[in-house]
Amino acid sequence: MYILPAVTILVLLTLVPSVFLYYVSITDYELGQLWSTHKLIGFRNYHRLLSGRDFEFWPSVRISITFMLLATSIETVLGFAIALLLNQEFRFKSLVFGCLLMPITITPSIVGQMWKLMYNAEYGVLNYFTERLLGVKVAWLGPELAFLSTLMVDVWQWTPFVALIIYAGLRSIPSEPFEAALVDGANTVQSFWYITLPLIRPLLMLAVIFRSMDSLKLFDVPFVLTQGGPGSATELLSLHVYRLGFAQTGWVARAAATAVLLLVMIISLSRLLVRHIREGGSTV
Amino acid sequence: MNSRSWTKVKRFLSALALVAVSVIAVFPFVYMVIVSLKPRVLTYDPSVWVFSPTFENYIAIFRQRNLLHFARNSFIVVLGTTLLSLALGSLAAYGFARFSFKKSESLAFWILSLRMLPPMATVIPFFIVARLLGILDTHIVLILAYMTFNIPFSIWMMRGFFEEIPREIEEAALVDGCSHWQVFLRILLPLSAPGLTATAIFCVIQSWNEFAFALFLTGVNARTLPTTVTFFLSVTGVIWGEMAAVGVVTALPVIIFAMLVQKHMIRGLTFGAVKQ
Repeated sequence: MYILPAVTILVLLTLVPSVFLYYVSITDYELGQLWSTHKLIGFRNYHRLLSGRDFEFWPSVRISITFMLLATSIETVLGFAIALLLNQEFRFKSLVFGCLLMPITITPSIVGQMWKLMYNAEYGVLNYFTERLLGVKVAWLGPELAFLSTLMVDVWQWTPFVALIIYAGLRSIPSEPFEAALVDGANTVQSFWYITLPLIRPLLMLAVIFRSMDSLKLFDVPFVLTQGGPGSATELLSLHVYRLGFAQTGWVARAAATAVLLLVMIISLSRLLVRHIREGGSTV
Repeated sequence: MNSRSWTKVKRFLSALALVAVSVIAVFPFVYMVIVSLKPRVLTYDPSVWVFSPTFENYIAIFRQRNLLHFARNSFIVVLGTTLLSLALGSLAAYGFARFSFKKSESLAFWILSLRMLPPMATVIPFFIVARLLGILDTHIVLILAYMTFNIPFSIWMMRGFFEEIPREIEEAALVDGCSHWQVFLRILLPLSAPGLTATAIFCVIQSWNEFAFALFLTGVNARTLPTTVTFFLSVTGVIWGEMAAVGVVTALPVIIFAMLVQKHMIRGLTFGAVKQ
């Protein structure tokens, strides 16, 4: 009836390609080869990845997961702090909100480019500041720091997102529990720990799940900023898929197998999200 | 220190923190605007902050780099995908909001989970199939690809907006002899016009910003604005001024649109999960 057209198109546009992706991942197809000449080779692509014969796969998984854990936890803590700051009366509040929306909405590839300008070792504005203030120039995108620099961009971009969600939660907490706690002689730390935190938990979880899934599949910003380099210091899984399938080698089938594994990781995370929303903890 | 001056200090510190947060949030973009307006000779000198602005970089990107072509592509793709997704999405949202059937929740959550698809996983099959069909590097392939995230988004957003409208209005209309179609077209859609607009603007922002599909599925003909950054990736002796100007032209429309939907921002960012 009403749902049918949309669902049909979604099935055609997502389910069919997914099945096709699984299929491609068990072939030997390469870029530039005629499609009709591909052969089925079973699970050899997967075996190759998981056994570590593809020696760049596991490091890339490690980079992706480290990135996800660090980005999510830093953004959650900072976002919470900013939300607490926002949750008081002050002038120019809407101006501050406007500022916070900037990082979230600016085109991600442009974000990458913007930061590339700022990180530049010779002419970048960040090194202009560090040289002025500390007298040193920093190799932001050098082998040691590239990973942290990429992480910093993600933190800059998405901390406001976490802050806004948590702020929405803080606004919805009634004041009665705090008054009761005050009467009972609770201090600020106690009422934060025993009232604010439990009441805000559903939204906090929502923010955490969104951030962990999105940082796991991140592609555009590091693609523009570092292209996975230098070496493979910032080669997140998405970038690894890109390099296998499109950049130098054109091993589409092996890239597909890697993409399937990335998909599995993300699907398991999204299960968490769905279960969480279903429990109804997130209608504020 | 007595408690009143302590409160003052606290207020001062939190104001300071808020200013710092706001400045950090806008600085990169402001800096890009500055670089884009600098005369060529000053581009590589970060110590110069005061100069007479020039538009030579903007003129250059439109004249020599043909930015208008990419802007036109972006515009066509965004318009196409937004209109189609909104039509299909709000229709389905009506179904989800007003009729419950077996497995309707599971279906709704399958649709939600489509948001999580990593672009790199979808782009490979899209690329191969599009090549077989001969529609690589066309507007159609991008319009279709963007529907994979815009339809789920529209469904979840509009479902929320529809559910906020009291059922009594529709029931009255049904009693008066309206069909469900008429209820949907004449009552529900007009009543949820603000929500529809907000949803549309979010679709516009998401599609305008999309990068991975645009990069792999298009070449020259249908290439959109965000992927023009790749022109500056491999060039040695990068032209910063033009690079920054392209960035400003690409990002500015989105920033303006975002300000328009500020009120619904959290709702949009969380797929309608947080209703504020």
